[in-house]
Amino acid sequence: MTTSPASPVAGGPNEPQPAPEKEQRFSAQAIAELEEIASHYPERKAACLPGLWIAQREYGGSLTPAAIQEVADRLGLSYAEVEGVATFYTMYNLRPRGKHHLEVCTCLTCAVKGAYDVVHKLEHELGVEVGGTTADGAFTLSEVECLDFCGAATVMQVGDKYFTNLTPDNVMELIETLRNSDDYTPAKLADAIVKIHIPGTSRTGGGSYKP
Amino acid sequence: MSANRLTQTEASLNPESPDLVTVKIDGIEVKVPKNENIIESAKRVGIDIPFFCYHPRLSKGDAANCRMCLVDVSMPRKNPDGSVVLAKMPKPQTACTLPAADGMVIETESEQVVKDRRGVLEFLLINHPLDCPICDRGGECPLQNNTLFYGPPTSRYIEEKRHFPKAYPLSDYVVFDRERCIHCARCTRFTEDISGDSQLGFLKRGADMEVGTFAQTAYKSKFSGNVIELCPVGALLSRTYRFKARPWDLHTQRSVCSKCSNGCNIKIDYRLNELQRVNARLNEEVNEEWTCDKGKFGHEYVSSADRLQRPMLKRNGQFVPIDWTQAYDLIVEKLRAAGPNVGGIGGQRCTNEDNYLFQKLFREVLKSNNIDSRLGRYQGPTDQPLYARFGYHGMGNAIADLENMKTIFVLGSDLVDEQPIIFLRVRKAWRFKGAHVVNAVTYIEEDTTRVGDFAEVEMIYKPGTEIALLNGLLNVLFAEKLLPENPTADLSALQKGVADWTPDRAGQETGVSADAIRQAARLLANGPMAILAGATVTEHPQYTDIAAALGNLIVATGNVGNLNIPGLECNTQGAMDMGVLPDCGPGYRPLDAPGMSTQQMLQAAANGQLQALWIVGAKLVEKYFDPDLARRALENCPFVVVNELTLTETARLADLVLPVASVAEKDGTYTNCERRIQRIYKAFDISPEIKPDWLVFAEVAAQMARSTPYFSARDILRDIAANVPIYAGITPRNLGESGIRWHYPGTEAKQG
Amino acid sequence: MAILNLLFEHRDVPNIEEIDVYEQHGGYAGLRRAILLERQAVVDEIKTSGLRGRGGAGFPTWIKWNGLPKNYDKPHYVICNADEGEPGTYKDRELMLKLAHLLVEGMIIAGYATYSKKGYIYIRGEYVEPAWQVRKAIDQAYEKGYLGKNILGVEGFDYDLYIHLGAGSYECGEESALMSSLMGERGNPRLKAPHAPLPVVEGVWKAPTLINNVETYCAATWILAHSGAEYAKYGTEKSKGSKIMSVSGHIARPANYEIELGTPLMELIEIAGGVTGGQLKAVIPGGSSVQIVPAEQCPNVNLDYESCQANGTLLGSGGFMVLNDKTDIVLLMKRTAEFYMHESCGKCTPCREGTRWMYKILDRITSGGGQPGDIDLLLDICGQIDGRSYCGLGDAAAWPIVAAIKRFRPEFEYWIEHKRSPVGPGHVPPTPEVLNPLLTLTPA
Ligand SMILES: Cc1cc2nc3c(=O)[nH]c(=O)nc-3n(C[C@H](O)[C@H](O)[C@H](O)COP(=O)(O)O)c2cc1C
Ligand code: SF4
Ligand code: FES
Repeated sequence: MTTSPASPVAGGPNEPQPAPEKEQRFSAQAIAELEEIASHYPERKAACLPGLWIAQREYGGSLTPAAIQEVADRLGLSYAEVEGVATFYTMYNLRPRGKHHLEVCTCLTCAVKGAYDVVHKLEHELGVEVGGTTADGAFTLSEVECLDFCGAATVMQVGDKYFTNLTPDNVMELIETLRNSDDYTPAKLADAIVKIHIPGTSRTGGGSYKP
Repeated sequence: MSANRLTQTEASLNPESPDLVTVKIDGIEVKVPKNENIIESAKRVGIDIPFFCYHPRLSKGDAANCRMCLVDVSMPRKNPDGSVVLAKMPKPQTACTLPAADGMVIETESEQVVKDRRGVLEFLLINHPLDCPICDRGGECPLQNNTLFYGPPTSRYIEEKRHFPKAYPLSDYVVFDRERCIHCARCTRFTEDISGDSQLGFLKRGADMEVGTFAQTAYKSKFSGNVIELCPVGALLSRTYRFKARPWDLHTQRSVCSKCSNGCNIKIDYRLNELQRVNARLNEEVNEEWTCDKGKFGHEYVSSADRLQRPMLKRNGQFVPIDWTQAYDLIVEKLRAAGPNVGGIGGQRCTNEDNYLFQKLFREVLKSNNIDSRLGRYQGPTDQPLYARFGYHGMGNAIADLENMKTIFVLGSDLVDEQPIIFLRVRKAWRFKGAHVVNAVTYIEEDTTRVGDFAEVEMIYKPGTEIALLNGLLNVLFAEKLLPENPTADLSALQKGVADWTPDRAGQETGVSADAIRQAARLLANGPMAILAGATVTEHPQYTDIAAALGNLIVATGNVGNLNIPGLECNTQGAMDMGVLPDCGPGYRPLDAPGMSTQQMLQAAANGQLQALWIVGAKLVEKYFDPDLARRALENCPFVVVNELTLTETARLADLVLPVASVAEKDGTYTNCERRIQRIYKAFDISPEIKPDWLVFAEVAAQMARSTPYFSARDILRDIAANVPIYAGITPRNLGESGIRWHYPGTEAKQG
Repeated sequence: MAILNLLFEHRDVPNIEEIDVYEQHGGYAGLRRAILLERQAVVDEIKTSGLRGRGGAGFPTWIKWNGLPKNYDKPHYVICNADEGEPGTYKDRELMLKLAHLLVEGMIIAGYATYSKKGYIYIRGEYVEPAWQVRKAIDQAYEKGYLGKNILGVEGFDYDLYIHLGAGSYECGEESALMSSLMGERGNPRLKAPHAPLPVVEGVWKAPTLINNVETYCAATWILAHSGAEYAKYGTEKSKGSKIMSVSGHIARPANYEIELGTPLMELIEIAGGVTGGQLKAVIPGGSSVQIVPAEQCPNVNLDYESCQANGTLLGSGGFMVLNDKTDIVLLMKRTAEFYMHESCGKCTPCREGTRWMYKILDRITSGGGQPGDIDLLLDICGQIDGRSYCGLGDAAAWPIVAAIKRFRPEFEYWIEHKRSPVGPGHVPPTPEVLNPLLTLTPA
């Protein structure tokens, strides 16, 4: 009995989606990186988080279903498992982000040190609400939980770097410098995180932050 | 290998550890197995600890999340001076994961515990829609029940509740209401621990956490129906049963699934003589508490609108309803005319009682042995290929035995589809008991069979090269001296036979890598090892040779009795036991003058040599491996009677179609693939004009000759027990709830 | 008692993150000394030092080190918890950024003492810059033969260090959740004793596992370099040695200060240059999870595990938050509740449902919808979470709220009654309305 029984719930936008297209976007280098990282652990599954970082880089800064599917296939995991992981951690982008992702810490210390003023300033100047992306796709603005550099409140993470001691007055010049910088992008962040997993990379470095 | 294997300790099954410990629960002292879950220990002394997420068959990994089972625990602690005091644990503990330890003292009703339960339920309810009036689970809902007994009288929650789109259809069978979910992880654990498709998982986190399928695709599983029964709330519901009835309006009848040979125990829930839904019925020996989706959703046909209501006679191409007396007169007249030129085909989907009278009618009244229930390719002598050598047909092992195998070799079977419940046992043996699984399939079935997901070695071979593969395996076993020291048989001939079947040669023949063959052979060497052969083998032209080769493998590795070639239909085994075979009477009593096999009858009929054919619940034109032959046979045979539920294609070619009872409308017994005789019970009648097959045979017999009348299936079973040695002593009573496996005379009959 | 730079001794030496410079300042002496000792002797050093876990729990470190099987039969794993996520804490960040070698050395010592061949440093994903320094330290350590096979010529002492970055989850700092995350799963906590064996018996990949905080490993390095007795000289009777306090908030010189355990709370405020922007109102001494201490109580508190406990708070991870009288405790607690709601993994009922409920109530109160029963309801909810949840996050979410209500109840009552902040204009953090840009900012 495989025919879908007539049921009040059948039909409508509320129906299961067709399976996403299978894609294979991992470059040879990406695959090498994944295998290297997987070799660090007794089980391939452990490479799931790094694998998703690689995917986030290879798929241009955000995780599409196809990206998740590719990670699952390459690590021999079930889709539900990998998607569960991808949706659990806040640093994986399930939606595309702007060229620069401004993540302002508004947790306790920053909150009492005026983080919200910084957020308003940005909201107002960039013309987006928190969570939104500017029309030109240059910036996505987010509030995040504690970045743990409370001594330098207000702190903002952009890509792979923290910017510190921000106030409504000094934040905009930072924005301007970011505007015409190709560093500190989501892809650069993903790239840096991937590289950090791999022995020997400290010499060549990766991302925008050079040790 | 995707899913990771669990160790015994992690499996939340009671360890059969002999050493017992003494625990005190609410003042009652009781001895329980060490490390048993306290929730189970409490049951032993009749104390109920409420729970949601706990399930004895699911792994503990993601459990202990609902916190409903919190209890106060104290442990004896030794002071430096040697004196022992009871130390109460600062925090309450979850009884569902707490391992029993000696001297442990549990309180399940302390003021604190009562308060905690109320707290947990308040939390669970704040985001629950409380739409019980329109919830199918209402009336049989653990959340309702626990709230009734342990919950807070009112809610203090005045904020806005969590909202999701209601009634999201996960698949054709299952609909999901996220708002009602209490995140107990039963469904997600089921897909990982039991069915193994890992199709359901948690997405997001915290209060936004929800159960989902990957990228909102459909929930594809052969066992999806089970999560409906597992879900402790109305979050996962059956689409076929949705809004059809209230549980308290349903009547329930015990039954056995008629969809495959595994014989799952089921409950038929019906109302107004109409089947509403099917649920699993516990039988540790067979299906534990699971069913496959075929069984759970496949019984709608019972109450389908196109069920035949009256006997139908074909008059110049048109079927017209007639009444039973006319039908009987016609049958009697035609059969008398036909004399010995009659044939009877079918019975695999009928009860033992039906089959017994079917063959009795043919042998004693019509004096013909032209009767056969087999529809597969192999229709040779019944004592081949297994009986003559090993003394049994079909399965050597009981389904439950498979759990205790070290290695299981699945050959040429799309196991999930052919033997769903055996598949679950094999997977259980692998996941919870650490068995090794070797899978060999042709590249045609490769993607459908799911054994490969967890098989340690998978061999994907060219169709038709089974024997080469088996020779290769034996070759390695000999070459690497992996076989037991003193074999039960002389193997020298065999050794010579396979000597030049080196893995490389076998590899080339079969398209399997030589390494895979070596690895597989090494695994097969550590016993106990069982073999499961499937339809690809039985439908193979060289079936007997393959079976012989499998037999050699079994004998050589010292696993005699562990070769299993299960049948496919719900009573394939029983039909043969009852002697619906051309060369054996009931109980495999050999006949000196064998009749025609199915194939022979069809050929004879096709050439106009048979005057009458009686086809009993067999979809020849649809299912027979040579459909045209079947069609020609039915067309060229002057008189064809078909017992059927609906006007199937086969029935359409008949001259007379008799409306017979479905599994839900009759009493009787089925015998499943492991030779377990199990009772089915009549649930309801849909029309007085519909009769069980046995009654039809009995009434025809009564009209044609003086023969013992039968008034009920019980009478027939009594007759069977008296006349069929292998069923000796069987009574409806001693079949009981879980049935009895019959054993060949000599081997002692053990209670199932 | 005051500043006590043990780990920070060479913090300000230029290029101390380079291995040569680090060695010139006594780097890897601890390891060289350790390998001359019996493995048990190393554990005993830790024991005599009286070192306690710096990650928050303050559990005696030697007991963990001593707990692993003393042989190479099965693989063992050493894990560093560098998922510093506790609001107010940023000590591990600085340790990794400047003194990564101190950590690496400590983990090698731990590997030696616990018969382990592999170590993992779990760093939160946001900490890219510190992680790069750790990467470099590890690479340099390999070049110098401090990592790899037969380290420093010790037969069979093979040890590899790997970095594993998180991806944004506070819960992954909880040790069992960290293990889940390390194994590539959702950051859910795992069964603990008495329901499952201890990590030192069955941790990651069911193998014996040692897990410690960054600062703990760094301290171990110092202890092995100078001897446990030396370390035990400092601190109080039960709390030995030094602790790094991350001072933040309304304070003149926010920074990491390494102090001797037992230093009076007020003294640390002095050292950090005193309160700014008003009078001292309260201090949160150990990170957002610990109980808030009102100004009047601060003089009684010494910064060691016992004194903190005696004063109804905890030393926690040393996230030392100074709050002046412009701070609105209710809004602060609402923000705290928001944090825990956002970080709850969702596995267990009390934490998943309770944290969100608490936030919703506090949110309602601070947007003028407070009702008389709310305060007691909050206390009840906290009671239903504390000790009932699957892991410590639930407790950590309940404690601060309970304490704040106990110690600043009038402010909650004021909010409910007058529907505005008792602190008056200019209070921090601001109220939700103020958050709406349309209300606050005049278009430029
Ligand atoms: C919710 C929660 C968050 C935690 N976060 C951290 C953390 O970010 N860093 C850390 O070192 N320990 C954290 N801990 C403590 C760890 O669980 C564990 O006690 C510690 O890593 C042990 O190391 P130690 O003995 O050196 O302190 C956290 C605990 C809980 C309950
Ligand atoms: S859907 Fe049902 S079974 Fe699955 S988690 Fe929710 S409540 Fe549990
Ligand atoms: S039944 Fe024990 S926590 Fe759910």
